[in-house]
Amino acid sequence: MQFKGTSISQGVAIGQAFLYQPYIYEPTKKKLASGDYNEALQRYETARRLARAELEGICQKLDDQEEAAIFRAHIDILYDDTLDEEIRDWITNDGYEGDWAIYSAFEKYIQILGKGKDQLIRERVADLQDVKNRLLRCYAGVPDRDLGKLEEPVIIVTHDLLPSDTATLDRSKVLGLVTEVGGATSHSAIIARSYGIPLLCVPGATELVDHGDLVIVDALEGKFIVSPEEDATNIYTKKRKDWLARREETARYRSAIPVCTDGTRVKVELNLGSATPEELDGADCTDGAGLFRTEFLYMGRSQPPAEDEQYELYKKVLLRFGERPVTLRTLDIGGDKTVECLKLPKEENPFLGKRALRLCFEDPKMFKTQLRAALRASAHGNLRIMFPMVTSLDDIRRAKAFVQETQEELSAAQLAFDAELKIGVMIEIPAIAMMADHVVQEVDFASIGTNDLTQYSLAVDRMNPSVAEYYQSYHPALFRTIGLVAREFRRADKPLCVCGELAADPLAAAVLIGLGVRELSMGISAVASIKKLICALSLEDAEKLARRVQELATAKEVEDYLKTALKKIME
Amino acid sequence: MYQKTTMIKNPSGLHARPASEFIACAKKFNAKIAIGRTNEEEKVNAKSMVLLLSLGIGHGESVVICADGEDEVEAVDALVALIDSGFNE
Repeated sequence: MQFKGTSISQGVAIGQAFLYQPYIYEPTKKKLASGDYNEALQRYETARRLARAELEGICQKLDDQEEAAIFRAHIDILYDDTLDEEIRDWITNDGYEGDWAIYSAFEKYIQILGKGKDQLIRERVADLQDVKNRLLRCYAGVPDRDLGKLEEPVIIVTHDLLPSDTATLDRSKVLGLVTEVGGATSHSAIIARSYGIPLLCVPGATELVDHGDLVIVDALEGKFIVSPEEDATNIYTKKRKDWLARREETARYRSAIPVCTDGTRVKVELNLGSATPEELDGADCTDGAGLFRTEFLYMGRSQPPAEDEQYELYKKVLLRFGERPVTLRTLDIGGDKTVECLKLPKEENPFLGKRALRLCFEDPKMFKTQLRAALRASAHGNLRIMFPMVTSLDDIRRAKAFVQETQEELSAAQLAFDAELKIGVMIEIPAIAMMADHVVQEVDFASIGTNDLTQYSLAVDRMNPSVAEYYQSYHPALFRTIGLVAREFRRADKPLCVCGELAADPLAAAVLIGLGVRELSMGISAVASIKKLICALSLEDAEKLARRVQELATAKEVEDYLKTALKKIME
Repeated sequence: MYQKTTMIKNPSGLHARPASEFIACAKKFNAKIAIGRTNEEEKVNAKSMVLLLSLGIGHGESVVICADGEDEVEAVDALVALIDSGFNE
């Protein structure tokens, strides 16, 4: 039986299904059958001891002290005086069954904390849920089907993985993952990709398999096969072997120095979106952070982040990269991204509305707070500041005036900052690309955001699925535009980076290098394959590709041409 | 009865790890201990994690800690010192 799925983390796996279904308590408001509450109290006490023993076991097994602290906090919740009092009260005074008592007491505080204004508090709700489920399962006498105790390598099939599942997961025993929910940015997805485990999202997957069935996960082509025929088993055993070999080959390039065959050095940089330890892990094998997005700081909270909070975070990232440049992009909110803490206007057409820099100009206090934090942090590393969504030279000059004003304030307050700080802009609007000869006089560097450049050049809303076919990443007009910008920056000898999806796509990256781009910035998962491409490419060939691509008529022609021309390198 | 007022200095306030440390410290004493905002009536049991979290005391807020029992002075002084240390944040 074969089912369709969405590939979230690439790869192929074949093995036995491990059906992982967490214990689910169905809330039922039942009075104590016997009326004897002593028995219920005793059962509750036993369940609590069991749960505590499980949590202590997890803490001991974890090397990461920060993770272990989460489970120690779970023990605190489990032995919380107030919860304990209320659970006992539900049993002895109201005469309810222990499971209902546990459920009610926890739910009360889950509701209260869930309404909290503070993001940090709301995050604790997940901990309360986790402890509640554990205690209820122990009360029901159901053993923990622990993902840390897998004996054979398996393919885990589950609704979704919780943080407490992945914390104990024995990765060496996981061939593949199949979840029913979760997009490309879910917790499971991040874990799977960072450990190179194939992950497929298949709606209703837990209903399709039995524990122990032989299953195949093809997360290259989005297929999930249950109880395959023998020839399918053979085909996929080979497919997995090929995939593993290819992955190993590519991985060797992760820490390579990206130099073309003729000696041209191309910088490969990292895109940062949350500055988590996993993300910063990529620092060692890249030439800097080509795009440090700062939106995440503003998301899921009621107040914008204070100057000190931003300063500490920027400083942390800068220290991690040492002498290598970190390009901080000022707040790019609006369009597809909204945040609670800023009162954004409702607009008919947000991508063409008050977005990013336009919003910052309207709220100078917020903008200055970010600039102050960034400038102060610049004393600790090699910071570059970049403004998104610029349309005109006016925008650039106005933003620079803000920087200068902030620098003067810091000098007056005798606070340290990097006086040589480089200032640049995103090139993502066709109008500013056409003005590249003027832009280059006004800035120290620029970075082309190809996702927005595509949507604004082709007049296609990239969030609107009904026009997805018109979003053509290989449209020759895009390469012509990038070529024009690259020419001006080469002439002025100023750095030009590309930080959109095109930079992470080997076919397009080859053209970008040919057009004169010498900095490519991308997510860590693309670093190895792009470095591999660079090491196999000669500048002469890249320039030939670039010339030809600008002469072609359609996106399809470009794609076909590049696939053929780069076939040898891509294998 | 013994009480003292202080201000929360660490950036993340009394949640997560700082809350755990605060509870752990409070539990070392026998006295009944309560905590609340200086400008509000409501005081809660300082040995309960969920109550402390539901107060949601953030950075820069002023709190009062009061204790009643044999070791009330030591308890209040220890908890105020912990808050003033900034929880190493």
